[in-house]
Amino acid sequence: MKPVLFLLLSFPLLGALILALIGRRLSRRTVETIACTAVVAAFVLALTAFLLSGQKVQSLTLAQWFSAGSFQVDMDIYYDPLAAMMALMVTFVSSLVHIYSVAYMHREGGYVRYFCFLNLFVFAMLVIVTAGNLVFLYLGWETVGLCSYALIGFWYEKPEAANAGAKAFVVTRLGDVAFGIAIALCWINLGHLSVSGINDSAASLGSQTAGIIGFLLLLAAIGKSAQLPLAVWLPDAMAGPTPVSALIHAATMVTAGVYLLMRFFPVIQGSPLVMALIACVGVITICFGALAALAQKDIKRILAYSTISQVGYMFLAVGAGDLAGSLFHLISHAFFKSLLFLAAGCVIHALHEEQDIFRMGGLRQKMPQLFWLFLAGTAALGAFPLTSGFFSKDRILLTVFLHPQAIYKVLWAIAAMAAIITPIYAFRLFFVVFFGQPHADRSQAPAPVSHPSVPNLMTWVLWPLAVLSLFAGFLNIPVNWAGNEWLAHYLAMVPGAAPELHASPEMESTIQLGSALITIVMVIFAWIFYGARIQPSECDDETFQMKLHSLFLNGFYLDRFYQTRIITPYRKMAVFLWHKVDAGWIDAGLDQIARSFLTLAERLRLWTTGRVSQYVSMMVTGFTLILCSLTVAWWYLQI
Amino acid sequence: MTIPFTHILFLAILLFAMGAACAMTRKNLFMILIGVEVMLNAAGIAFVAAAMRWQDMNGQVMALFVMTVAAAEIAVALALIVCIRRRTRSTNANLCSLLKG
Repeated sequence: MKPVLFLLLSFPLLGALILALIGRRLSRRTVETIACTAVVAAFVLALTAFLLSGQKVQSLTLAQWFSAGSFQVDMDIYYDPLAAMMALMVTFVSSLVHIYSVAYMHREGGYVRYFCFLNLFVFAMLVIVTAGNLVFLYLGWETVGLCSYALIGFWYEKPEAANAGAKAFVVTRLGDVAFGIAIALCWINLGHLSVSGINDSAASLGSQTAGIIGFLLLLAAIGKSAQLPLAVWLPDAMAGPTPVSALIHAATMVTAGVYLLMRFFPVIQGSPLVMALIACVGVITICFGALAALAQKDIKRILAYSTISQVGYMFLAVGAGDLAGSLFHLISHAFFKSLLFLAAGCVIHALHEEQDIFRMGGLRQKMPQLFWLFLAGTAALGAFPLTSGFFSKDRILLTVFLHPQAIYKVLWAIAAMAAIITPIYAFRLFFVVFFGQPHADRSQAPAPVSHPSVPNLMTWVLWPLAVLSLFAGFLNIPVNWAGNEWLAHYLAMVPGAAPELHASPEMESTIQLGSALITIVMVIFAWIFYGARIQPSECDDETFQMKLHSLFLNGFYLDRFYQTRIITPYRKMAVFLWHKVDAGWIDAGLDQIARSFLTLAERLRLWTTGRVSQYVSMMVTGFTLILCSLTVAWWYLQI
Repeated sequence: MTIPFTHILFLAILLFAMGAACAMTRKNLFMILIGVEVMLNAAGIAFVAAAMRWQDMNGQVMALFVMTVAAAEIAVALALIVCIRRRTRSTNANLCSLLKG
């Protein structure tokens, strides 16, 4: 088992190292082969580990990392069913994205850098997933941030891409700081940092300490998973290449926050307040993301806001104490969202980098294969009955509904309302892109859609994802569908997991039937609004509708809020400190002192006349003065 | 009859002051050198007088040392003067002012 897990981590790292060190001397084909082989090998190893370990927990040490006094940090591995599922999902999606990237990036330069960071990302993500102690986990946590930064800013010549990378890095850093403090608190309160140890002794933490640590972990997760109030970086992160958006900003890295909360669930469970807070953050973010996605025009921004919204569901599930539901939605979301992003990448590629959905339209005849693939992803996102999204979302809603506390009923109601919006925005995107007519602005010509050409490789890798989007629900079929809830029972021994929901089959069926009906109605609704007609409707700027539209389009002006309330005052303060304090006082003061010494030196300079006789007389005078003063002093001492 | 110690000291002080005045005021390098010699010899007289006053031979030894140092100093100084004279065509000390600030 140990060699398998060791190789699982080393393959992507080795790939990244080879590409970083000698990648430039290799041919393009070799670079692509190395990158893809490393990740596919990691997938095979993850599968092997999954099959070998069964439901056992593997806890082992790969190597000593560093030690200082009694503080020792090793490269520990903690491999349990939760980590197994995550590792499997991460390596699977990464493999497909790597293969897809070969075709997608075939016209781009900088492919060595691209594949190197992509491989490094897979390594870091696997470190997060399998890390056995907090410091090792933090290593992976920071490295995925670095890779995300580097890949968002892949086209660094474009200022918006470079800025988006920096923004993502800085905003997630706010959460990382909280994570660092949480690690320190764990060390102080528990005396060790291993995942299993923390979870075992979580009960011994007081509810207050557990609450503080849980809150800090929540902050870390909020930053990484782009939840409110730190959600602003994800829509901008779409400036990176589309496969990167699919892998890092939809399927894997943004779910790392959820994974962190699941990993340390016993700690969070210690404080009901933090649990409720997590659920609230989730619910508010669900609404925020769904409403913002409703008004976007850029195909990738729609998907980005939808990711924010869907990750909110995972938070809600963790907040309601249902790890299985959260992981279930995480996995199904990874499949359908990476499918949607990669399919969107095909569309963008075919239309020569056009991203405005209202300048697409009518792609059903031109790209029939992509039409079905996109339909699979959209159906899963919209929770169309029998797709994976349907089962996973319903499981979450059911858990929240069954939660004994009153506040969760309110949260359930809001989340259910947001679940109504989800199919609308999902199918709005789908209908506008594949059915409508390209909407020609007066100022812009319609995008050239005459000869869509997408490399076959790009569409082939989407089929497995499409199949999984539709059928991943079979991982965890509810009991009232004669299923056995395999995933929930598989996760049963993960600390804090509760496999049984204790729902009556009637209630479960009623809720499922209700949401299925609502979804179908909403799809028809979206068809009526967006299917046939050209959108958007052009009305006066001053109407309430337009204001609402603009509110959603700009993501509730969250960016503007940060700009005016935080960035601008901060910049003003920085300019004040720079111009007034640093340049005005400190630098000017030092300059003044230096200048006064210069003046003094100018005066003293006059003394050196160069005349020997004057030097001698000065010496004699000085010597006389010294002798006189000594005499006087001696005289007084005598008396 | 011996001369009182204070008298000799006054003579030494007088000589020293005259030598110093000469060294300070004159421009000619030779005159400055003579002034320095006079000051050295004033110190020598004071040493010899002190040796007589306290009946200690160290004073006389010091006087011998002063003479030796004066001889060595004169040799170096004369060489320097020759050098300066070649360079500036004069023995005016004020012309050697390269170190002026």
